[in-house]
Amino acid sequence: MSAIDRRSGIDALVERWRLIALLIPLLALDLGLFALPMGYLLRISFAGRTPGGAFVEGSWSLDGYRYVLDSALVHEILAFTLLFGVLVTVLSVAIGVVYAYGTRRASGWQRTLLLSGAVLSLFTTLVVKLFAVVLVFSPVGVLNDLLLWVSVLDDPLLLIDNLIGAVLAQLYIVVPYSILAVYAVLSTLEETVVEAALDLGADRPRVFREVILPHVRPGIAVGAVISFTWTVGAYAGPLLLGSGSERTIGVLVSELLLSRFDWPAAAALAVVTIAIVFAVLLAALLRLDSGGGALDA
Amino acid sequence: MRESAINWAFRLLITVLFAFLILPLIIVVATAFDASGAVVFPPEAFSLRWFGVLLESPDWMRSIANSLLVATGTTALSMAVGVTAALGTRRPDGSVGKALTALAVLPLFVPGIVIGVTLLTFFSRFDLQGSYLALVVAHSLWATPLTFSVSQATFARFDWTIQEAALDLGASPTRAFLEVVVPDVRAGLLVAALVAFVVSLQEFVMALFLSGPDTRTVPVQAWNSLRQGLDPLVSVVSTALLVAVVVLVLVGSVAVGVERLATDA
Repeated sequence: MSAIDRRSGIDALVERWRLIALLIPLLALDLGLFALPMGYLLRISFAGRTPGGAFVEGSWSLDGYRYVLDSALVHEILAFTLLFGVLVTVLSVAIGVVYAYGTRRASGWQRTLLLSGAVLSLFTTLVVKLFAVVLVFSPVGVLNDLLLWVSVLDDPLLLIDNLIGAVLAQLYIVVPYSILAVYAVLSTLEETVVEAALDLGADRPRVFREVILPHVRPGIAVGAVISFTWTVGAYAGPLLLGSGSERTIGVLVSELLLSRFDWPAAAALAVVTIAIVFAVLLAALLRLDSGGGALDA
Repeated sequence: MRESAINWAFRLLITVLFAFLILPLIIVVATAFDASGAVVFPPEAFSLRWFGVLLESPDWMRSIANSLLVATGTTALSMAVGVTAALGTRRPDGSVGKALTALAVLPLFVPGIVIGVTLLTFFSRFDLQGSYLALVVAHSLWATPLTFSVSQATFARFDWTIQEAALDLGASPTRAFLEVVVPDVRAGLLVAALVAFVVSLQEFVMALFLSGPDTRTVPVQAWNSLRQGLDPLVSVVSTALLVAVVVLVLVGSVAVGVERLATDA
């Protein structure tokens, strides 16, 4: 082994340690301020419940989980939340695919406009979007005014304070993510592939089914996972635009935590939510392993 | 014939979707310029009255200052963490790199309410609930995956042989980074910082749980008054937020183009 070899060996080692040092901030943030607090929440979910405060310090108990298992209200809310999640996810992905495909087929300023619309909506705080939904869809809102004015309707449509309102609100929150997730994948499809299919005699709908859709599968998966996990954790949308029957796990968790000071029950329910979210993430990752990772998008 | 009918229907569908996406936001802006105390559309009399009322409301001004402070802190923290991590994973290291990327991206998939509740219980242990620190940490959990991935994409476009040349010519690693790498990737890093800033500015659910009376951000303040009923001040603040986001997105688009902005982020 020559001196130069050894020298470059040491350099490589230094370089390696430098790379590892660069990763410490990320590890500190994600382990210290994300994983550790998650662990603390898990601990609280196993603490004893008490009427007099948040939880019994240092105690071990399954009462939090017993509450989740036994309460009919919790079951009802869990069932609604999952159904709500599936409904919103299906709609969000469908809209995302159509909008992204439209954006891809548009050119010049039209494409820029469609993309900018999605980006602007993505970057708009959800409170503003919910406020906008109230202004547009309420019984005295812009849409009903318009429909009544052109005499399509005799009575205003009830589009808020019910399931429709909750779904609309949640769609405004997750659809931009679906659009951009699908578009990110779609923009990597070569135009020549589409042209080849057209030249070989396929019509547009067939190209969409047999060329576009298979190609955007990873984008659909990312859009679906984001839509579902965020809707399972939905809070503001259902609270402001749903009614009493559109209560989600998120609403119940905050109620338990802030109004009833029942921290073990709130923590147990939050842990159940995280478990559902991670199970869906894991399933999506495993299924996608064959067709490109979800994390690459 | 059938083909063109389908094409026409498809264009109509896209137009309708675009209208549903954007028109509500334009309507919010329009209601901000109405003179009346009720939120009405179409506006009846043009007026800037409510903008004046906003500037004189201590609660709202406080929330605007809070939002700017938290967004600045989030940008600083998430850029420091994201850029260093992107430099650290520059040479794909197989499974380690993958695991790190997964760890970094994970918080983005966890619903805000869960992170909010988790950090609220954790920080109240140290009496830090309602502090700026709690808000900056929470927002950085979402901003960092984005600064990380935008920086990664930016560094992947950089020709690293130029940096090696600078090192060979005797520049220290720090000098080579600041004088050779940074000027070339400036636009990409600017976009990463803008994304972090906007993410913090618009985040609501975590802020609702983690902010206190003195640290309320604009979205939380808007939510509180929205719960009481429709308030023209919410229209005005929404307009200000929308204008801020449009300006920031425009800056980002000028820096790298809207196409890359939409696909990188």
